[in-house]
Amino acid sequence: MESIINPLVLYLVCALGALALALALPRRNDKLAIVGGVVLAITLGLAALGLTSAAKSSGQDTPNLFFYIFAIIALGSSARVITHPRPVYSALYFILSIIASAGLYVLLSAEFMAFALVIIYAGAILITYLFVIMLATQQPTEASKQILDETDAVAREPILASAIGFVMLAVLTSAMFNGLSDLRAPKGMDTAQDSVLVQLPRKVDRILHRAGVINDDERVARADDGTALLDIANRTIVVENEDLGTTRVLEPDQWPDTLTAGNLDRLGYNLMHDHPMTIEIAGVILLMAMLGATVLARKHIELEDELKAAQARKLGPSLTLPPRRKSASQGGDA
Amino acid sequence: MITSLTSILEPVLSSTAMLAPDAHGHAAHTEIGSGPSWILLIVGLPLLASIISGLAAALGVKSKQPAWTTVIACFIAFLFTVSMYISYDGTPYTVKAFDWIQVHTDSHGSLIANFSFYIDTLSIYWMLFVTGLATLIALYASEYMSHDVGLGYCRFFAAFGLFVFSMACLVMGDNFLMLYLGWEGVGLCSYLLIGYFYKKPEAVAAAKKAFIVNRIGDLGLALGVYLTFVHFGTLEYAKLFSDPKLLSYVEYASVGNFSAIPATAQWIPLLLMVGAFGKSAQFPLYVWLPDAMEGPTPVSALIHAATMVTAGVYLIARTYPLFIASEHALPIVAWIGTITALLAATIGMAQFDIKRIMAYSTVSQLGYMFAGLGVLTPTGGVYHVLTHAFFKALLFLCCGAVMHGFAGQLDLRKLSGLRQVKGWGIVTIGMLVGCINLAGVPFTAGYFSKDTILAEAFVTPGYELLGWILIFTAGLTAYYTFRVFFRVFMGPVEYHPGDEAHDHDHDNDAHGEQHHHDAGQNGDHHSDHFHPHAPGWAINTVLATLTIASLAASGLYIVGGSSDKHTKHYAETMVMSSTAAFSSPYSEHAFHAAHDSHDDDAHAPDDHGSDHAAPAAGVGPRGTIEHAQTVPLFGGDPHKMMYYISGVVGVIGIALAWFLHLFGRTEAATCKMDPIARLFGPIPKWAEHKWYVDEIYWAVIVTPLRIFSHVLHWFDKLVIDGIVNLFGILPRVGAWIVRPSQSGVLQGYAVSMAGGVAILLLVVFVLIAQGGLS
Amino acid sequence: MNHMIDLITPLQLAFPEAVGNATLAHYLFVSAAMFVMGLVGFMTRRNMIVMFLCTELMFQGAGLALIAFGRHHLGADGQTFVIFVLCVAAAEAAMALALVVLLFRHRETLSSQAWKELNG
Repeated sequence: MESIINPLVLYLVCALGALALALALPRRNDKLAIVGGVVLAITLGLAALGLTSAAKSSGQDTPNLFFYIFAIIALGSSARVITHPRPVYSALYFILSIIASAGLYVLLSAEFMAFALVIIYAGAILITYLFVIMLATQQPTEASKQILDETDAVAREPILASAIGFVMLAVLTSAMFNGLSDLRAPKGMDTAQDSVLVQLPRKVDRILHRAGVINDDERVARADDGTALLDIANRTIVVENEDLGTTRVLEPDQWPDTLTAGNLDRLGYNLMHDHPMTIEIAGVILLMAMLGATVLARKHIELEDELKAAQARKLGPSLTLPPRRKSASQGGDA
Repeated sequence: MITSLTSILEPVLSSTAMLAPDAHGHAAHTEIGSGPSWILLIVGLPLLASIISGLAAALGVKSKQPAWTTVIACFIAFLFTVSMYISYDGTPYTVKAFDWIQVHTDSHGSLIANFSFYIDTLSIYWMLFVTGLATLIALYASEYMSHDVGLGYCRFFAAFGLFVFSMACLVMGDNFLMLYLGWEGVGLCSYLLIGYFYKKPEAVAAAKKAFIVNRIGDLGLALGVYLTFVHFGTLEYAKLFSDPKLLSYVEYASVGNFSAIPATAQWIPLLLMVGAFGKSAQFPLYVWLPDAMEGPTPVSALIHAATMVTAGVYLIARTYPLFIASEHALPIVAWIGTITALLAATIGMAQFDIKRIMAYSTVSQLGYMFAGLGVLTPTGGVYHVLTHAFFKALLFLCCGAVMHGFAGQLDLRKLSGLRQVKGWGIVTIGMLVGCINLAGVPFTAGYFSKDTILAEAFVTPGYELLGWILIFTAGLTAYYTFRVFFRVFMGPVEYHPGDEAHDHDHDNDAHGEQHHHDAGQNGDHHSDHFHPHAPGWAINTVLATLTIASLAASGLYIVGGSSDKHTKHYAETMVMSSTAAFSSPYSEHAFHAAHDSHDDDAHAPDDHGSDHAAPAAGVGPRGTIEHAQTVPLFGGDPHKMMYYISGVVGVIGIALAWFLHLFGRTEAATCKMDPIARLFGPIPKWAEHKWYVDEIYWAVIVTPLRIFSHVLHWFDKLVIDGIVNLFGILPRVGAWIVRPSQSGVLQGYAVSMAGGVAILLLVVFVLIAQGGLS
Repeated sequence: MNHMIDLITPLQLAFPEAVGNATLAHYLFVSAAMFVMGLVGFMTRRNMIVMFLCTELMFQGAGLALIAFGRHHLGADGQTFVIFVLCVAAAEAAMALALVVLLFRHRETLSSQAWKELNG
């Protein structure tokens, strides 16, 4: 199979990216970071051009402009996350990166996940990060000339790490572009999405009632296994009257426009129907994380034995504890 | 080379069959009766004494208890030996203590070596004087070692008891492995007791020397035992000496057909012989014995004169049929013995340390015993063992008494006229009796036993030269023996005490300083602060007993003959009933020839004579019987003539000693010998330095070995250790290289991990691109 | 450039065709690049909070790849797995931040090098 993109361009992009990151990673001389930023911008442009030309040369249309916008924002802000010397800015750039990723999710018809990502990541997790960053940052002393701690200001082994990372990227992307086909044409997408309606007869009932296509005493006919008798391809619906025991077929022109399955329907059905056990496991993981975080983060306060005894006495019935030690017996009368 | 050694060994066949006199078939010989179990006490009691002495050492006993334990144990063992002798009915039997080694194989017979004891006349004979002398010498040592009461005393008697136990195992064991066990046991005890004064470097060196030289011999013995098992498939005496294979070899040997005997069988005695040479201090391996005199004198008397050193003689006597079945074994034994006898006698003449003279005399007399075995008279050899055991133990104990009394003084130039010192009478008498025995004064035990050997040397063809050398040596023996006696015990009274530390293990010894005393003419020149202490009752009792025993031993040559076994005296009776049984055909014929003419011997059996008619008519391997009969000495029967010759030679030697060392001597240090010795030029000096044998060994064997060892040592250290250490260093170097990576910095680990993943991905990708993973 | 005009039609028109002419590989490239940036950040930055942010970035890269593959196969499994990725990321964030707080209390610094002696 032909590679979609010229490997030389790909490797050049990877090498330039490595150089850019190596330059941009925080160090004492921040002029290099600007150079790194420029190189990174050139790299991203080159990558976009390479991808575009690759698509053109293979006779395809130019890729979607939104893709480029979101991709460049995502990658640029990702680069900023790792190159910005101040953790707060890193976190903020990470939020930007997540929002751009959410845009890409939308382009990939995963609208629910796009919003979920923004809410959970940007809204919940990153806020926690910001809290912790604020909690756990040393107060800069007046004596110290540099505002930034060396921990943040100087990266460790930037060249080696960048080289390793981008060798990996080159290898991975070589494999990707080496024969993965185009995304499937969206022609049959509606059909594919709507096929989940067969599994949801009560949702179909509700939509048909709202659209006024069927009467109150009618509903979609069920097959033996409980699925709705819908013909998605021909857009016909079998409707039955339970009281009378009669059935009739709705013609395609009677198919209401609202009778479609959304992203959320499909996702919810998939989640609940195909991965129930995984949900349980995820729940356990979250519970354990909560417990673990509680145990780890709480402060250990060393109490004296006398204090413990005193607390126990206040909490429990007023018993006179037998003196355990000499000191305990002395304190017992007090 | 001996060209006319003939072995017409018909009597051996009949005597070997004496193992089981009631059976005639070969197969039946392997069946052997078992004896009463109290015989085990003979072995067990000394071991018990040893253990008790060891416990006494552990408990810190500071009395003479270990000595009394050992004396009583040895004495009871002796009584049991005597009762074993009395109850012995002429049939060998075994007594089994427990199963020891039993390896059953399909292909090569079974290796069976039980912890059991084989009782026949030879072992009884040996055990009688071993336990008897052990009792006496333990009693002697109880006084002699009294300066050391405490830990050393316990140690001494523990080793002493262990020695008697080991010697009993050696002599009474019913198989070669028991013999080997005892052999190594006595070697160990010898080592321990020579090195008794372990703070003295000489004693430690002597102990090491004895042990190492014995290792050479023991290697030969071990190989011989191994070869015996390989060839005969058994190690038990009862089975071995009734083995049809061995009997047929003896038969072949009796007609001189040595080519019919496999080389393996002929090699066995040559290897066993090496062991015997080592233990019995024969020519190439004798050097350890004189040095072994560094040990306490009772040890020298018991182990290094009377018992342990005769183990080699015992070994050859016990395995005599194996030696007969070898073409060269007995001639080698004879000549080695003769060379040793002469060499040791010449060295002994030039020594001044009386104990050392006795040591060389022991080596020389052991040479006589080997010569006797070699010239086909095990009787002579074995009888000489007994007589020598008594008179040499006596001589050593007398020397020990002198040493004990004169603060370690052993130099005969510094002692004189002890005869006249009060309290030394028994010692003087004992010494005199020992000396006349050793010198071969007529009608003493030593005279008879030596004569037997000398006469056989002359009657056996090819050994005339050997006989003359032995007679010359007998003269030398008489000379050096009485040289000691005349200088130390006779003449003007004069003595200088020795360095107490020479024999005593006291670091802070008040007697450590040297005492010099000017000699006076009229004796009794005791120094102000040195008084020789005369031997006490224990030493005197022992010396008196041994004096009587030495004199009485000559009686064994006269009484004890058995008409059943056609033997003339006690020693021969004992030997002829055992596996060592052998009577030289030459001796028989010479005997018959002599007695036919005199016609006065009632013991000459007719049937025995007719037995030899057949081989007499035939031709032996290296000569004929007719030739054998034509070996008269000065026109008479060698046995008769030897009585006169050796008597005359002995008297000449004594007279010479008297003239040179006593006649007209006025002080201890000088005598008439001194100017005469100068006439011989450097030769006396060489003899005093033991012919530089030690130096030659040192130069030829020890130094090259040492250099070679150093080379190997450095090879080992540099090359072998280097390689091994290299393998040890490599991981260290590797660790040193990779250690910085374990910095504890999280990012370092992350970089390593990601780098690894990247490389792995790269490899996989390249392989996929090349179609390698399709 | 007439393509550009087509593509700047309103979003309602764009959405059904939004994937447009971008191939799966385009999205995967973006996801891989995000992942690698997270990895590089993890390897280079010393601040523990930033290191954990970088792990979140790697999660993002993985999530984008999952969504793209789900779209490629026209199934909902990819999105479902992103939900689980979010779960794990949330759990990880909780634990990680608790740890960071704990470690900060001990050393008064966020540097991961402050814990070098844990190398054993």
